[in-house]
Amino acid sequence: MERTLANFIQVLRNAEVRVSPAETLDAMTTLELVGYADRKFLKHSLALVLPKTVDEKVAYDAAFDQFFRFEEVNNKALQNDSSSSNDDGDQEGEEQQGEGNGEGGGGSAAETNPANGKRKSKSKQKGKQKPNNLQDEEEEEADLGPGPMTESTSELGKLLMANSRVELAVRMAQAGEAVNVKDIQIFTQKGLYARRMMDAMGLSELNAEISDLGESRQVPARRLGQELKRRREWLREEVRDYVERQFLLHADVSGKRLREELLRTVKLSNVEHRSFRLIQEIVYKMAKRLATMHARRKKVFKRGALNVPRTLRHNMQYDGSIFDLHWKSVKIDRPKVFAVCDVSGSVANYARFMLMFLYSLEEVMPKVRSFAFSSDLAEVTELFERNDLEDAINKTLHEYSGGSTDYGQALLDFKRMCLDDVDNRTTIIILGDARNNYGENRQLILKEMYDRAKRVIWLNPESKNAWNAGDSVMRVYGAYCHQVEECNSLMHLERVVGNLLKQASG
Amino acid sequence: MPDIAQITQSVASIKAAFEEHRYICSDQIATAVYLAFHLRKPILIEGPPGVGKTELAKTTSELFALPLIRLQCYEGLDEAKAIYEWKYGKQLLYTQVLKETLEEVLQGAKGFKESVTRLHEFGDIFFSEEFLEPRPLLKALKEENGCVLLIDEVDKSDHEFESLLLEILSDFQVSIPEIGTVKASREPPMVFLTSNNTREISDALKRRCLHLYIPFPDLDLEQKIIHARVPKIPPELRRQMVAFIQELRELDLKKVPAISETIDWARTLLLLHADSLDPDLVRGTLNVILKFQEDIVNVQGEISAITSKVKTAKR
Repeated sequence: MERTLANFIQVLRNAEVRVSPAETLDAMTTLELVGYADRKFLKHSLALVLPKTVDEKVAYDAAFDQFFRFEEVNNKALQNDSSSSNDDGDQEGEEQQGEGNGEGGGGSAAETNPANGKRKSKSKQKGKQKPNNLQDEEEEEADLGPGPMTESTSELGKLLMANSRVELAVRMAQAGEAVNVKDIQIFTQKGLYARRMMDAMGLSELNAEISDLGESRQVPARRLGQELKRRREWLREEVRDYVERQFLLHADVSGKRLREELLRTVKLSNVEHRSFRLIQEIVYKMAKRLATMHARRKKVFKRGALNVPRTLRHNMQYDGSIFDLHWKSVKIDRPKVFAVCDVSGSVANYARFMLMFLYSLEEVMPKVRSFAFSSDLAEVTELFERNDLEDAINKTLHEYSGGSTDYGQALLDFKRMCLDDVDNRTTIIILGDARNNYGENRQLILKEMYDRAKRVIWLNPESKNAWNAGDSVMRVYGAYCHQVEECNSLMHLERVVGNLLKQASG
Repeated sequence: MPDIAQITQSVASIKAAFEEHRYICSDQIATAVYLAFHLRKPILIEGPPGVGKTELAKTTSELFALPLIRLQCYEGLDEAKAIYEWKYGKQLLYTQVLKETLEEVLQGAKGFKESVTRLHEFGDIFFSEEFLEPRPLLKALKEENGCVLLIDEVDKSDHEFESLLLEILSDFQVSIPEIGTVKASREPPMVFLTSNNTREISDALKRRCLHLYIPFPDLDLEQKIIHARVPKIPPELRRQMVAFIQELRELDLKKVPAISETIDWARTLLLLHADSLDPDLVRGTLNVILKFQEDIVNVQGEISAITSKVKTAKR
C-alpha cells in the first residue's frame, strides 16, 4: 500500500509536481483516513495534499488517472493466480467498463452449439481489442469436447496455456530486466522495448509453433493454434502496459532532463528554432528558482513620521522620558534596471533570451526598462507591458533588427531619450558584441552613464578571444563598465542575472 | 448546537450540510473540509476573485457554530497587528503609579543589591498576560471551544509575514519572547487562508497546508448556486443568465464575471421582473456583471449574438 503511494509520488515528481518528504507523510496520513476503496474520493483527497499550484493540479490529474489504472490491472492480475480463468474473464470485463462484463456473463450462460458459434464469430471481430474476453470462451470449448487440444511444445506456449499469471508476471519482469527496460528514455522507444521483451520471452518459438499448428490437419492442434494466437495478443497487451508503466516510472523526464542539461550549456546562437519552447521552459524554471532565492529580499526603508506607540513602548524602560525615537518607515522604490540590447542579426538570439529572462523575473526583479537597437535605439518597455512575453520579443526583434549596427548612434539616442532618468540606483545592462562597423564610438556618453548609474554591465556573447579583433571595440567600451562578462549560454545568463538580483536587493 | 460528528462523517454529509446553509459546493471543496477537519490542517484556498473563497470559511463557521476570527492581510501587516501587542498605555500608567510607591517598596532595603532584588519582584508583572493585547491570531489560539480562523488574502501581505504564520500553522502555537510559547486551547482552530494569486506563496507555507483551488463553477453547479442564493428567480431565466455568464467567461475580458456577480445580476433581474433575457435588458444591466468600461464596450457588440445563442440552446 505504501509502496504504491511511493511509486505514485515518483511518477508525480517525474511529471514535475514537486513533492517534499513532508507532503509524502501527509499523503500517507490522508491515505489512512481515506483508503483506496473510493477512487474519486482518493483522487480529490490527494489533490489537496500533493499538488500545490494550478499547473501541478493539471499534471496531477493526468498522472493519477494513468497511474491508478495500471495499478488496478496489475494488482488484479497478480491476485488472481489461484482463481479460475473464468474469474479472470469477469475481472477483465469489469475493467473494460461494463460492456465486457455483460458479454462475459452471456458467454458462460451460452451452452448450445449454435449459440456458441455465433458468439465466436462475434468475438473474433472484437478479438483484437479485447483478447481477454476470449478466455471464458476457451473454457466453453474445453467443455464441449474434453481434451481436444494437444500439448503446447514451446516454453512460452506452455506458460500461456498454464494460465498462471504469477509465473507470467515473473517471466515478464525477468524479460524486462534482460532488455533493461528501465533505461527507456523517450516515448517512441515504447514499441521497441515491448518487442524486445516479447522476443526475450520466446516469441519467435511461439510464432513458429502457431504457424505449424495452423497448418496441421487435426482439429485439436488447430484449436490450440487459435488459442495460442489469442493468448499471444493478450500477452502483447500486457507487455505494452508493463513497458508503459516502466516508462512512466523511470523515463519520460530523464530524456527531457538530458536535453535540458544540454541546452543550458549550448551556445544560444546555435539553438535550433524547434528548441525554443523548451528553452523558454528552462528560462522560466531558472527564473523561478532565482525568484524564490531572492524573494526574501532585504527591504530598503526611508524614515517617515514618528511612530508614537512604538516610541512610548520602547521608552518605558527609561522611566517614560522619551529619547529613543522610533519612526514609521516608508518603503523606497525598487531600484531600476535598464536593459539595452543589440538586436542586429548576429546578437538577436541572445537578446531574445536575455529579455525572456529579465521579464520572467518580474516578480522579484526591479523595474525593468528595455531598449532595442541596431542602428537607432528605441524603448520597447511598453511593448512588453501590453503583449505577452513571446509576442513582445518577436515584435521587438522584427521591428528593430534591420540596419547595420551603430553603437555610437545608439548611445546618442540613449542620451537624448533617458539619460536623465539614470540615477545612482540604476543598473544598466548592455548586451552586444561591440562590433561597431568601424563607426564612431562615442564612448564618452558611456562614461557619462558610468558616472551616473550604480552599475554598468556589458554582456558580450562572443568568446573572449574574439574581443577586440576586427571591428570589435570592446576595449574602448570596457573601460567605462563596472563589469564586462562573456555571456552566451543560459548558464551564463543565470549567473549574471543572479548577481544582479543580489546587488539589487542589497 | 449542530452535531459535528454527524456532519463530518463523510464528504457527502458535509456537502449536504453546506447546502443547508445555502453554500453549494463541489466534491473537491467538501473533501477539503473533510480532510482539514480530520487531519487538523489549514486549507490554503486559491482561485479567481469572487468564487466563494471567503464565503467557504464563513459558512464553515456557521456550520460548526464556531466563532469566526478574521485577519485581513495587507502590505505592512506585522506581528503587532496580527499576533499581540503590549498595552503600552496601561504599562505607562502603572509605571507612574509605581513610581510614587517606590519608596515604600524599597523601605528598609539595605544597599543597592537588595533594592534591585526587591524591584525584580515587580519587574515581570509588566510583561504578563494582564498587559497583553491579543490580536486575531492569538485570540484564535485562546478560543476555548475552537474557532474558525480566516486569514484573508494572504498574498497581499509581505514575505516576512508568511514566515510569521508558519509556527501557528504547523503547531498551532505562537512564541512571545517575554512570556513564552502560547499553545492552542483544547480545540485548535480550523484555519482557512485565501489567496488571489497576486504573487506566489512560499513553498514553506504551502507545504503546511492543504491546497484547494476553486475554479469557476460549471453550468449546472452555477445554476444550483443561483437557485440556493436567489430562489425566487424563474428557472428558465436562471438557465439563460447562467449560460450567458458562462459565455462571457470565454471572452477575452479584463475581469471576467465571478459567481458573486452572477448572484448580483440574478437579484437585479428579479427586481426588474424579467422573465427571459433580451438584448436590451442585458445592455441595461451589463454594468452589474462587468466592472470595466473597456469590457462593457467590447461586449456590447456581442450581446445579441450571445443572447440568442443561450435562448435557443437546449434546456
